Amino acid sequence: MAEYASSDDEERYQYYDDDDDDDDDVDVDGGDGGDEIVSLRSHGCRPAFKIITKESLMAAQEEDLRMVMDVLSLKEHVARTLLIHYRWDAEKLLEVLVEEGKEKLYADVGVTMMEHGKHIMSRFSSVVMCNICIEEVSANEMTTMDCGHFFCNTCWTEHFIVKINDGQSRRIRCMAHQCNAICDEEIVRNLVSARDLNLAVKFDRFLLESYIEDNRKIKWCPSVPHCGNAIRMDDPQFEVECSCGLQFCFSCSSEAHSPCSCQMWEMWAKKCQDESETVNWISVHTKPCPKCRKLVEKNGGCNLVYCICGQTFCWLCGGATGSDHTWTSIAGHSCGRFKDNEKVKVDRAKRETYLVRYLHYYNRYKAHKDSFKLESKLKETMQAKISNLEDKQCICKDFSWVTNGLSRLFRSRQIISYSYPFAYYMFGDLIENDLTKKEKEIKKNLFEDQQQQLEANIEKLSLYIEKPFDQFSNDEFMELRMKIITQSVVVDNLCSKLYECIENELLGSISGETHIIAPYKSKGVEKALELSVCRDMETSNTERNSG
Amino acid sequence: MIDFARVQKELQECSRDVEKSGIKVSPKSDGSLARLIGTIPGPVGTPYEGGTFQIDISLPDGYPFEPPKMQFATKVWHPNISSQSGAICLDILKDQWSPALTLKTALLSVQALLSAPQPDDPQDAVVAQQYLRDYQTFVGTARYWTESFAKISSLGVEEKVQKLVEMGFPEAQVRSTLEVVGGDENLALEKLCSS
Repeated sequence: MAEYASSDDEERYQYYDDDDDDDDDVDVDGGDGGDEIVSLRSHGCRPAFKIITKESLMAAQEEDLRMVMDVLSLKEHVARTLLIHYRWDAEKLLEVLVEEGKEKLYADVGVTMMEHGKHIMSRFSSVVMCNICIEEVSANEMTTMDCGHFFCNTCWTEHFIVKINDGQSRRIRCMAHQCNAICDEEIVRNLVSARDLNLAVKFDRFLLESYIEDNRKIKWCPSVPHCGNAIRMDDPQFEVECSCGLQFCFSCSSEAHSPCSCQMWEMWAKKCQDESETVNWISVHTKPCPKCRKLVEKNGGCNLVYCICGQTFCWLCGGATGSDHTWTSIAGHSCGRFKDNEKVKVDRAKRETYLVRYLHYYNRYKAHKDSFKLESKLKETMQAKISNLEDKQCICKDFSWVTNGLSRLFRSRQIISYSYPFAYYMFGDLIENDLTKKEKEIKKNLFEDQQQQLEANIEKLSLYIEKPFDQFSNDEFMELRMKIITQSVVVDNLCSKLYECIENELLGSISGETHIIAPYKSKGVEKALELSVCRDMETSNTERNSG
Repeated sequence: MIDFARVQKELQECSRDVEKSGIKVSPKSDGSLARLIGTIPGPVGTPYEGGTFQIDISLPDGYPFEPPKMQFATKVWHPNISSQSGAICLDILKDQWSPALTLKTALLSVQALLSAPQPDDPQDAVVAQQYLRDYQTFVGTARYWTESFAKISSLGVEEKVQKLVEMGFPEAQVRSTLEVVGGDENLALEKLCSS
């Protein structure tokens, strides 16, 4: 999805504007683009997600810290302690401050505010006893914390090292018994770096990362290997795409799984893992040809499979389809429905029926997942085709319809695959709902109709996109272009209809835990943008240092 | 590295007022100061009165910046002390430890724990349940355990000496070893075998 991601929304907008006058086909094309414009205006200007990179992490944190430091005129480490306690929700912190007062706020967090006048040290002679190592140490080798407790620097350093290594950098307390004061970060940093520079760096990193780990609004990107980014969510949203390309669900940090709810997805992922042995045994990677019974492996994106014996069959149900099997007639085929075969029910043990039911949904889920994987390879071949055409000086100079079509295919392929686990839970008896058996049956039919329509049209889109259009004549080429453009729009509409159906007809009837499903976005999963660092950072920084 | 200079000073400080506090800390085996034996008298007015309780102390490398590990060597019936292993459930031995505390203050806290059990935060669920449901039986059992395990009678010592001498160790060595380990027969045997 790299090319799609890099194509700038603004540029596309411009393009549609210019093109509109001189090309007949652009009506449809422009329709697709029109969608883009609307969504750009409605929420494109202020994205709900921001990417926090290693570089911007410091600035983002400083912004919040400084706000609290300014309002309460506090030292940095006290402000940090307060913010960590409130999980970096500065608004909540200020709310408590206004409603309950400063003393209550500090007491809740366990911050002890002591008068600074207590410089007992100065009154002593040049040599002082450190109560930790029980040695006499010269006064300039001692450090007094905000709370007024003083110990020798060697002991302080040891204490800090133990606490940092123990993962407690965010809350290093004073060494005195039952003293809750948090040690001044500056002192920790100075003393530790004199002993072990690496550990001092580690300390700073732990403090920084607290901004992400103790923060309700921020999550690490769950990519493996980790891309180093975190995402901040400013408005409640669900699915997001990190700049590394990974799409994930913000609320459960697993892969983007709509239209499954987080709870359904968690159960499904676990179930797939638990039952994987059985499923392997039934071998989902291959299907026997209905004619010669040879095991056929699927090596292309669409669901019409050709066996080497010449037999064609449907990958989803494994049923033979004649040579007159067209893509439109696959649209009508009903293998996406789960049939409760009465005889099966009576004959077999209940558990077996559960397995059959699970396998029905699992196989379809897996089939689309596999298609998605295979189709992902299309990105490269598509690029090759495009550059091929550019070399040939093709009549069409713009290829956004290919990339748009491809990203539509990817997105819808994911949606259709996740719609199977959704249906598994929605229409099973694992999640409690208020539906009668008859109501459930009606809703199931409604949903399955939508699902099948979408499925058929995705296959159609896949078929078109896989065509070797770089070898086509001009007429054929323009015809296919039109087909891909229209098909993309059809699929988009069907996706949003499926979500509407889920949202309006199905979710309301589930009782108990709420199932929140990330809304469908025509544009695809929202991409997080780089966090822009506050511009007056620099100035306020220098002001603080001078003051 | 353990701050042995401090441990040394702590031991001196402790032995200075042993008469007053009754709390003793001594090295377990000669040489290393990392493993110690603490002794506390059972608090007056509790089922532990009259008993002498031994506590195994092992100092982690980070001592005194990390808490010492303490465990009852003497069997004791108490909601916050495991009747099986002697593990102690005490906050200052965990997250509430402060480098400003010492072995003596920690042992004093353990002693305080003997007089004030906290059954709501138990280490030994069986004991805690008995403490809450049937206090009289609890007191009885605790006293019986104190009598059986925490009292070193002089007769007992003679019996142990005899037993060890029968095993083939010279009597003088047996007596001195028993004294070093505080009368624990098994520890003495261990030590005699390793020497």
